[in-house]
Amino acid sequence: MSKIKTLAGAVLATTLTAGLSTSALAAAGDPVKIGVMLPFSGIYAQLGEAGRDGLKLALKEHAEKLHGSKVEFIELDTEAKPSRAPELASSLLNQHEADFVIGPVHSGVAMGMIKMLRGKDTIMIIPNAGSAAATGPLCSPNVFRTSFSSWQPSYPMGKVALEKGYKKVYAISWNYGMGRESLDAFEESFTAGGGEIVEKVLLPFPSTNFQSHVSDIADENPDAVFTFFAGGGAIKFVKDYDAMGLRGKIPLMGSGFLTEGTLQAQGDAAEGVMTGLHYAEQLDVPKNREFREAFNTEYGHYPDIYAVQGYDAGQAIANTIDQLEGDISDKQAVISTMEKLTIDSPRGEFTFSKAHNPIQNIYLREVKDGVNVVQSVAAEALEDPARGCKL
Amino acid sequence: MSTELFFVQLINGLQYGLLLFLIASGLTLVFGVMGILNLAHGSMYMVGAYLVWYFVAITGSFSVFAILSAVIALGLGILIERVLIQRLYNRNHLDQVLLTIGMIFVFNSLQSILWGNDPYGVAVPEALSGSVPFTDNSSYPVYRIFAAMVCIAIAAALYFVVSKTRLGMLIRAGESNREMVEALGVNIKSLYTIVFAIGVMLAAVSGIIAAPMRSIVPGMGESVLITCFVVVVIGGMGSIKGAFVGALLVGVISTFAAVLIPTMSNMIIYIFMILVLLVKPQGLFAK
Amino acid sequence: MIFEKRTERIFLAIFFVVALCIPLFLEENSFFVGKVTTILILAVFVMSLDFLVGRVGLVTLGHALFYGLGGYLFVILTPEYEAVNFWVYAFYIMGLNALIALVIGAVVLRTSGIYFIMITLAISQMAYYYFFDSLEFGGNDGLFIFMKPETSIFGLSFLNLDNPTHFYYLALLAVLVTLLAIKIILRSRFGRIVEASRLNPERTAALGYNIFAFRLISYVIGSTLAAYAGLLFALQYGYVNPQFMTWEMSGTALVMSILGGMGTIYGAIIGTITYEGLQYFFEHMSKDWMLFMGGAIILMVLLLRKGLAGYLEKLLEK
Repeated sequence: MSKIKTLAGAVLATTLTAGLSTSALAAAGDPVKIGVMLPFSGIYAQLGEAGRDGLKLALKEHAEKLHGSKVEFIELDTEAKPSRAPELASSLLNQHEADFVIGPVHSGVAMGMIKMLRGKDTIMIIPNAGSAAATGPLCSPNVFRTSFSSWQPSYPMGKVALEKGYKKVYAISWNYGMGRESLDAFEESFTAGGGEIVEKVLLPFPSTNFQSHVSDIADENPDAVFTFFAGGGAIKFVKDYDAMGLRGKIPLMGSGFLTEGTLQAQGDAAEGVMTGLHYAEQLDVPKNREFREAFNTEYGHYPDIYAVQGYDAGQAIANTIDQLEGDISDKQAVISTMEKLTIDSPRGEFTFSKAHNPIQNIYLREVKDGVNVVQSVAAEALEDPARGCKL
Repeated sequence: MSTELFFVQLINGLQYGLLLFLIASGLTLVFGVMGILNLAHGSMYMVGAYLVWYFVAITGSFSVFAILSAVIALGLGILIERVLIQRLYNRNHLDQVLLTIGMIFVFNSLQSILWGNDPYGVAVPEALSGSVPFTDNSSYPVYRIFAAMVCIAIAAALYFVVSKTRLGMLIRAGESNREMVEALGVNIKSLYTIVFAIGVMLAAVSGIIAAPMRSIVPGMGESVLITCFVVVVIGGMGSIKGAFVGALLVGVISTFAAVLIPTMSNMIIYIFMILVLLVKPQGLFAK
Repeated sequence: MIFEKRTERIFLAIFFVVALCIPLFLEENSFFVGKVTTILILAVFVMSLDFLVGRVGLVTLGHALFYGLGGYLFVILTPEYEAVNFWVYAFYIMGLNALIALVIGAVVLRTSGIYFIMITLAISQMAYYYFFDSLEFGGNDGLFIFMKPETSIFGLSFLNLDNPTHFYYLALLAVLVTLLAIKIILRSRFGRIVEASRLNPERTAALGYNIFAFRLISYVIGSTLAAYAGLLFALQYGYVNPQFMTWEMSGTALVMSILGGMGTIYGAIIGTITYEGLQYFFEHMSKDWMLFMGGAIILMVLLLRKGLAGYLEKLLEK
């Protein structure tokens, strides 16, 4: 009998004590509680880790701005699973009473988080997920974004393509929110200037069976190709494109994620690829150089866009606390302070739009010798149209 | 579609199918002989890819370390079989499923701890990095042709071993009647260890061969697992010949579907599998 | 007596007493109430799977299809900003789901074994792709349920679904009803024939029973219960996403069921609590929680021949 009691008791007890002990921590002192909901396992883990590392660096650097408050991080692994999103968000909001919730990477998880957190007594800052809805129809006063909307990096590329004289472009991406929205944004500006999308291919997400499409592109022979892929898919697409001999023959353009965090793996295959993004490693902005060195000193490797976005989320928090002189008890005040911030970001300065999305420059980059070299500013202070947002 | 494009896509499809065969062969071999459904098969593919990436990253040499990685995988297979799988022979299939799912968790976690979560790539080895000019615009990569050749060679080797050697005879006998084989004095335990280890090695080798053509990312094992199962089921569980035919069919069908009906192309292989099962409920070459 | 085993009676008695009282200890903290509610909802899903896999002998990796459909059907059928009646719509949704299960079952039950597993997986994956790609049904972002339904019967309403504690009791009721329903079915003549057809299909058929029909009806019952669980899951936080119907979701439920003790039905509850409890514990302990989770699963498979329920029975049954 005692054996089962121990068995049954053990599970229940551990569950409850684990929860209760963290709540006990929260009561002592007056720390700023930052909940972090990012993927730390699975295919997006790299993005989650980078975001968290950037966030923590910002808060470490700006420690004096916190007016003596300590920072407590609560990190939860979303595994990029939307089914866990509302529950984890509830944990941060109700159990840990987090003042700020940073996350996520994945758009589906973002939706689940927003459902739980919008209008509630916490500030949510999205350090990556680009889905249009978050600063569109589902925008909310307490939801901010320090990354991008899917429209932003791709929209200026249409103009770039026209300027380079491309008339017929083959567009290809994955059939999901970010992919569709990226291609639509490119199409919007490209066709407005008289360009023609000869083929628009949406592959099932996250298929990386590109070989047949690359052969199709060769056969179709457009002036250029525009794509959105990221991570492992970006690596494979660029390599397959090169392996089939298309590099140099048919220019390859894309939303910046095609060459973010992937250049080492892509090697020579990425030479000459042109992309648009709100950042580039070699961006000639003093803050960028400072940030890159600080990040490398702290973590032993150089940062990418995902780290920058996390870093800026941290900066937004630190600056808000600073302006409110450490008192973040009035959430309305926190919101109105954060809204008016100018963030001194490694990507260049940016402010928030009414829908709380960054108003930022989009840079045209070209890969040269394994680095994204900035060619020009493709769009200055570009503001996402925030269609459907009522703010 | 022009004839040129058709021909290229056909080659693409066959090459993809051959790689699928290599991945699936280990799975069907293990199930056919031992009755074990190894859900961690995809993890073995991942281990092969990560191992070769790791060695190439620190030494730059592909060929030597490709073979080393395969040998490591063989050893890993023996270890897993001896320590874990062996205890489940008398248990029901679902317990085996559960064990191999637990293994997936462990392998994914080890991958993250040992090698990190960044996406990696393996450069195509120098000697094979050229391409054969095809059309005015494109050329076909030599490496893909090489990979296809390797898959055919391994398929031929498997065929030879299974039908012409003593080990192969034991494998075929063990598939149909385990008790009889034991009664005939064969050490079935060693046979099972060898078969399982070969299955693991085949999966790892496919990961090694595929590495220069893929990106090395977390979760890459699970993404091939389902396609692998589809191939094996279409061919008939346990039949290597079936896996070969099934793989080529799936390869060609998905390649053409990808260009002709891109948004539906992920459903197409499931639809094909369902159609096959409705006509032949045990797969094409069922035992 | 529908609960024949002593272990079963002891466990269930303790479980329901604790479950009834838990909200009293957790009132202030609505996260924990939500967490245990989710565990209860999952337990319903896993029990329905345990019924199909453990008792009817149908190993399906596509069970999450119905789980996801429960939520999606609600979003599709109900107006966006109006509170409908919960009981009426639960009835509609379960009915619709039963029809869908009937059609699917009629096709898939022609196969068996590994082929049945794959074909059920294929169908749920195709549904997942359909919802993932569809723009009208929210695509990969999913959809929100803005208005929770109201729960009046003949004008009298006791439950306010916006209150986490009330929702918890609704979930607990679902656990009780599902458990009783499955146990009663298994005790009935229908249930005995279904089990006989799992243990010895040829003999059962030889006795003149139409095994296909019995299995089909069981499949419909199991799937409908899963849909009800899915409906509750979607309503809890007001969110549906195609990821709810993936093979990984089905696989996780299968793991919980096997861990708990395949076929025992009450074991499904044990398995769900244990799995969720372990994951919560490991996640808060280490960023490499997956390693511990996998290790725990492997250890439990190797040491517990008949799952956790089996182990308890070994201790308690004389």
